[in-house]
Order: sequence, then structure tokens, then C-alpha cells
Amino acid sequence: MPETAHLRVSHVTKRFGGVTAVDDVSFDVPKGAFATLLGPSGCGKTTTLRTIAGFYDPDAGDIQIGGRRVNELPAHRRGTAMVFQDYALFPHMTVRDNVAYGLRVAHTGAAERTRRVRETLAFVGLTGLEDRWPSQLSGGQQQRVAVARALVIEPQVLLLDEPLSNLDAKLREQLRVELRTLQRRLGMTFVYVTHDQGEALSLSDWIAVMNAGKVEQAGEPWEIYYHPRTAFLADFVGAVNLVPARVSELAETTVTVTFGTHRAQVRRPPDVTVNAGHDVLLCVRPESFSITPAAPADRNGIALEGTVARRAFLGDTMRYWVRVDDREWIVDQPDPGAASPLDGAVSLSVRPERVHVIAE
Amino acid sequence: MRSLRREPVLLLALLAVVALVLTFIVYPQVQVVIAPGPSGYVDFLQGGTWIGPLRNSVEVTLLSTTTAVLLGFVYAYAMVYSHMPWKPFFRVIGILPLLSPPFVVAASYLLLFGPRGIVTYGVFGQSPIIFGLFGIWGVQTIAYFPFAYQLIADVLSRSDARMEQAARNLGAGPWRVFWTVTLPLSRPGLGAAILTTAIYVLEDFGNPQIIGGIFTVLPTQAYSLISGFGDFTSAAAVSTILLLLALGLYVAKIRLDGGRAFVTVSGRASSMPRPPVPLGLSAACFVACLALAALLVLVYGTLVVSAFTAVFPTNLTFTVRHFEFVATGTNGDALRNTLTFSVVAAAFSAVFALFAGWLVQRGTWPGRGALDFLLIMPAAIPGIFFGIGYLTAFNQAWLDWVNRGWLIIIAMIFWNIPVGYQAAVAGLRQVDRSLDEAATSLGASKLRGFRDVLVPMLGGSLRVGFVTTFVRAVTTLSVVIFLFTPATTVATIRIYQLVNDLNWGGATAFTVADIGMAIVALVIFAALARGRIALGAARA
Repeated sequence: MPETAHLRVSHVTKRFGGVTAVDDVSFDVPKGAFATLLGPSGCGKTTTLRTIAGFYDPDAGDIQIGGRRVNELPAHRRGTAMVFQDYALFPHMTVRDNVAYGLRVAHTGAAERTRRVRETLAFVGLTGLEDRWPSQLSGGQQQRVAVARALVIEPQVLLLDEPLSNLDAKLREQLRVELRTLQRRLGMTFVYVTHDQGEALSLSDWIAVMNAGKVEQAGEPWEIYYHPRTAFLADFVGAVNLVPARVSELAETTVTVTFGTHRAQVRRPPDVTVNAGHDVLLCVRPESFSITPAAPADRNGIALEGTVARRAFLGDTMRYWVRVDDREWIVDQPDPGAASPLDGAVSLSVRPERVHVIAE
Repeated sequence: MRSLRREPVLLLALLAVVALVLTFIVYPQVQVVIAPGPSGYVDFLQGGTWIGPLRNSVEVTLLSTTTAVLLGFVYAYAMVYSHMPWKPFFRVIGILPLLSPPFVVAASYLLLFGPRGIVTYGVFGQSPIIFGLFGIWGVQTIAYFPFAYQLIADVLSRSDARMEQAARNLGAGPWRVFWTVTLPLSRPGLGAAILTTAIYVLEDFGNPQIIGGIFTVLPTQAYSLISGFGDFTSAAAVSTILLLLALGLYVAKIRLDGGRAFVTVSGRASSMPRPPVPLGLSAACFVACLALAALLVLVYGTLVVSAFTAVFPTNLTFTVRHFEFVATGTNGDALRNTLTFSVVAAAFSAVFALFAGWLVQRGTWPGRGALDFLLIMPAAIPGIFFGIGYLTAFNQAWLDWVNRGWLIIIAMIFWNIPVGYQAAVAGLRQVDRSLDEAATSLGASKLRGFRDVLVPMLGGSLRVGFVTTFVRAVTTLSVVIFLFTPATTVATIRIYQLVNDLNWGGATAFTVADIGMAIVALVIFAALARGRIALGAARA
């Protein structure tokens, strides 16, 4: 992402005792972007977020916000309001007082405070609940109060630490959309932490996938999903078929790979060196396949003959595990109601541009 | 530490707390311990005068703790497990002794069983010698079994009823459940309760002083060395021995329960119903509690009757003359002083303890462990030692401009710090750190977040600290016995002096007035705190 960075994390390292939680992490987030740190638990994403917030002092590296180094700024002067996983609403304050808290601390005048609290509550759809106590609110409402409380002070960067993880699936999806819309309308810079790849993909302008304290790959969601640079990434973000293969020929934009008895010409990955004779991994998303009971249609990409080993009905898709030689492939069939479930011998095919090569 | 540098106000506050702790907890104690000097210790130890009192202290602590714990256990078991009637009555009776100075039991004992006691002389026509070991043993048993009851009831009521339900469900009878599930699970808590009771008994000064006679224990020896002989060096050495014993018990207690159990005044969590016990057991519990309650009613009732009669027990004409005596002159001042000192000390102690608890529990600076230790240590310091420490450190000519009442107040504040401090730490553990962080991320400094978010949520801890400190301040004799002046005398001192003068009417009326005042103060406080306090033992 180009433009000037609004939030810049450069070479930040954070250790706890002998454990390095964040290991030389660098990234830039432009103003107004929705950036997400994605990774399994213990990968250092929350530590990174809390270091940005000023709750932790980095052992090395710099944090800059709006071009200014904030390492020496205490947490309460950074303008990095945070939305917490458990919301952390003040239980002894009403919704109104919770949202007004940051303004009160900043000595905002009473009239302006009232106006901004009212507007922000309207913005998150909580008008009418001003006098409720946090304990009288549903999880979704509490979450909205937490967001409103952070938004109202118009922070430089809004930090969100898994804010949706305590909600049920349906509400989570609804709030996901709301959060995205809200961020677009405000043009505010968000840094969002989650372990849920679906959340990350649907919300973000930009994702950094973290593992073991390092950023494994950063980029736009589409890039992360279809062109993961490592097997870990491919596996962590969504279901995937990872198949060992060998590079047999190299062309300008394509590589020819062999695996088992198969041979296919696929897209050559940019900014990764692959050489003939190298072992690589083929990465194919289950939904990239088409599955038919008949013979394969397209000989251009990968065409496989196999038998259905198992299947699972997921609602919007039917997932098949198809045995081909000694390997099982995961294949998703969209709109499974359109035909009766497949069984026995099937043909799989995938277009070459849907096959991604990971250099091992 | 880096975050502290960025918030200079917080750093200053921390330094102030450390300075206060060093001045008022560490410094006086060090003064006592080093007072005799190496040669002083050698001479003193060779002199051997300490061997008898040490043996007596150990002996009487073992005896009194054993009986107090046994009675307390019966009472606690009955209250927690049985389905006996009259539980509210027994609860109140069990709490009253906590509000009175423990040594008034000795006064009542003299009235009942003394040379002219109503039982010994009045009923049996005997004038036995009741001073010495057996007298102390009996008196301390009665004085401290209510404390043991509170501690043990707290432990038992926290034992997991689900475990007991599960054991019953698997076919074990009540007796078997108790021995195989309840007791093993509460063993550390019970051990800590026993050791806490032992510390109370070990540092008891008033009872042995009143009825010990020639039977000297360490606290009374320390007192008489100073007040009788002006031998400060030996007194310091004796109280250091006492301190070491108490510290030993306290360290053992902390290893068992992490230093959490205190006799405090707080709300008690309700628990799920326990499996039923047989009717016969409930009946036995009822009889036992009735007997113990009767004993307490006899002991404290004697004081009340004596307070309202002309000359107890020979002339039982009703009179309020003793109360007039209590209300006038120095006596009235003493009562007022007790109230003022205790309220002021309790307020400061609770607030200071909360703040210190916050600094330690939420802080990230080095040396927190040391401050934590210093803040809980006063719980192990015998009152007489604390008093001698303040006498040594602060009873100086250059401090004459300070009102001596402040010295008493400060002693009460810091002697009672552990209760409020532990309550604050326990309360803070219940509050997720994300609440502080939320305040911080919204622009509030750490101090501001503490004030706006944590203090309003820690009302319970503040109440525990305030009420418990108040009660302990009202009832302590040993801490103040070296610190009072004619103008700053307090109720416990006057009661003690009146007992020594054999002015029974005055002493007992004073006792009734003191306890009554404490109760009234607590009722008012409870009303202010909207009834959210209850008396008893709790994990602070």
C-alpha cells in the first residue's frame, strides 16, 4: 500500500522473560485504512497491538503515529483508543457515562460532550439506551457501546482486539458488516486483531498474517488468500489442498510442474525464485475445482480422476474428499442443491491460473 | 519502570507510600530489634529470665489454641453444615466477642470465678486461687474461640458443596463425606485458621496481664520490664523473641493459604445448598452451640449486669451511676478519643491500603514483592511489640510538638494495614486489567483511571479495611499501652486501669459503653454503606 504511513511499526521486538512474543515486526498502515493482524493464538498479534497502544514498552524498534515517534508517550497520550475483546465497559457507569468518559477526561465542554455522545450513539444505533447499565445490555449492544466509547474521542488510530469473538456467529457477521461500513464512513484508521480468517478477509484493506512473532506475509486479502507465500499461510487462511510437486520447466509467466503421474502448466509466482528441479508445493483452494461425474472438460490445467471418499454438507457448499491415487483432495461444490450429491467415480479439473505455487 | 518515569505524579505517589511504610512499619521495628545491641542480647540470653516466660507462652498458646480451635470448630461446623434452629441468634452471639476487647473476658472471669466470684464464693463458698496457667487457659479459650469460629466457618463455607453432593451421590454417608472430602479439601485453610488463632493467643497481652499473677508470658514480661523496671533493653529483647515466634507462625500460615485469611468484617458469599445431615447430628450441634452461646452470654452478661448494679455481686440494686462515671472527666475523654482515633485511623488505613494495594497489584516496577511483604508483615507483629516500637522510635523530645493522639492513630493505621491491603489486592484481582487499560486508552492517566474506574468498583475492599481496622482499633490494648498520655487515653486503657483498681462497676460499665459505641458506629456505617457489610471472617 503506497501513500504515507499514518501508523508505522518498525523493527519492533517485545520479549517476556525468555520468550520473544514479537520479533522484529515492521509494517505501515496508511491513513484511513482498515488493517488487520491475523494469526493463531500466541502469534504475537495482540502483543503488537498492545505495544502500539502503549501498554507494553517495545524492547527494540519504533512506533510512529502521524509521523511522530510515540515510544516515550504514555498510553493515555497516544490517541489510540482501544476496543477490548471483553468490551471492558465500566460497570458502574451508564452507557452515556461510558461513552462520555474519554471526553470528560479531555475536558471537553459539556455542550459539545453531550452532542458528540448523542451523535456517536446514534451512529452505532444505540439511541434510547443512554441510561442503561452495561449489565442490562446484550453482547452485541455492549460491543457497540465499546466501539462508540472509543470512536467518540476521535482517536488517531482505533485499535480493536478481537472485538467480535465473544458474539454468536449470526451477530458476528452482522457486526462485521457494520464495522466495515462505519470505518469507511469515518475514514478512520483501524488496526484490528483477529484469529478468524473470515473476519480478516471480509473486513480488511490490508492483512498481516503473523506466526511465531513474525509477519509471515502482508498484503491485500485477495493476495493473502490466493497467493500465500508459505504453507503455513495457505493452511491458516482457509481450507486448502497442498500438494508436493517438482518444477520441470520454466517459462516467462508459467512453470510446468509434475506431481505423481500428473503434469501441469501453471502460473509462475511473482517475486519468488523457482528453479527447474526444485521441490515446490501446489496450493489449490477447494472452490477452485470443478467436480463432475463425467470425464474432465479442460485438459489445459489439472485434470484428475478419483473416487469420492467422504462428503460433508456445509449449506452453501458440498465439500467432497476425493481420493486420487494415494491422496485425498478437498473439493467444494457450490450450490449443492442444484444436483444430487456425487458418489463413486468423479472427475476434477482446475484452471491453471487457480493453481498457486509455493516455493519450499 | 519506564512507564513510571513517564508519569511523574505516579512515581511521586509511589515514593511517598514507600517512605511511609519505611518510616512507620520498618523503622520502629528495626529500632526495637537492634535496641539491645549484640552484647545486650548476649547478657540477656545468659541471664535466662526469658526461659520461663517463653516456656509459659508456648505452653499456654498450645493449650488455648487447641481448645479454642476445637470449640470454634464445633460452632463453625454447626453453623455451616447442620440444620439446627436459631442460627441467626448464634451468629450474632458469635460476632459480639469480636467487638469487645478480648481481655474483658478476664474481668468477667474474675467476677464469676475470682476469690469473691459469684460462682466460686457465692455458690460454693470457696476462694480458690484462680490466677496462673489454668485461669489464662480458660479465659483465652473463651476469648478466642469466637475468632477461631469465624476463621473456620469461613474455610468450611468455602468448601465446594458440589464435591460433597458428588460424594453423597456416589453413596458415601455424611460422616464419610466429611472425613474423606470436606476435611482433606479444607486442610490448608483449617491449618491457616489454627495458626492465625495461635498468633492471636500468643500476642494476647490483656488476659495474662489481668489474671496471670506470677505466671508471666512474653508480652506481659516485656510490659513489666518497661513499666516496672524501666529496663528497656531487656524488654526489647523479650519482644524480639515474641516477634520471632509470631513471625514463625505467620510464615507457616502464609505457606498454607498465601496469607489470605483474616478475621475481618466483610460480606460473605452465599454458596449452593449442602447435602443434608442426619437429624441427630443437627440436634447435637444445636445443644453444643446452645452451651457455647450460654457460656458467652454468661461471660458478657456478667459484665452487663455488673455495669448496671451498685456493687456486683453483693448489692444488685439497679443503677446508672457507673455510666455517669464513665461519661465524665477523663473517662468521657477516653471514650471520645477511642471513637475519634478509631474512625480516623480506619479511614486513613483503608484508603492508604487500597492505594498501596493498587500500586503493588497493578504496578510493573521492581521491588513490588518487597513492598508487598512489608505491607502484610504487621499482621505478624504482636501489638505489644508494635507499641514498644513506636515508643522507641517516636516518643522523642523533638517530636513533642506533635499531638500524641496522632501517634496512636498512626500506630493503629499501620498495625492494621494488612487487612485493608489484602482486601484491596483481592478486590483488584477480581477486576480485569482491561478496565484500567480501557480508561488509559481513552486518555486517562493511571492515577485518573484508578480514581474513576477502580475506586468505585472497590467499595467492598474499602469497607472491609475500614470496618475491620475500626473494630481492631477500638479493642486493642497492647498497641496503645505504651503510647497513651493522660490527654490521649483511650477506653481499653481505662478499662484495664479500672480492673487493676478493682473498680468493677466502672470497668464493666466502661466495657459496655465501649462495645455499645462500637456497635452503634458500625450500625451507622452499615446504614451509610447501605447495609453491605456483615461481620465475620473472610479471605481478605
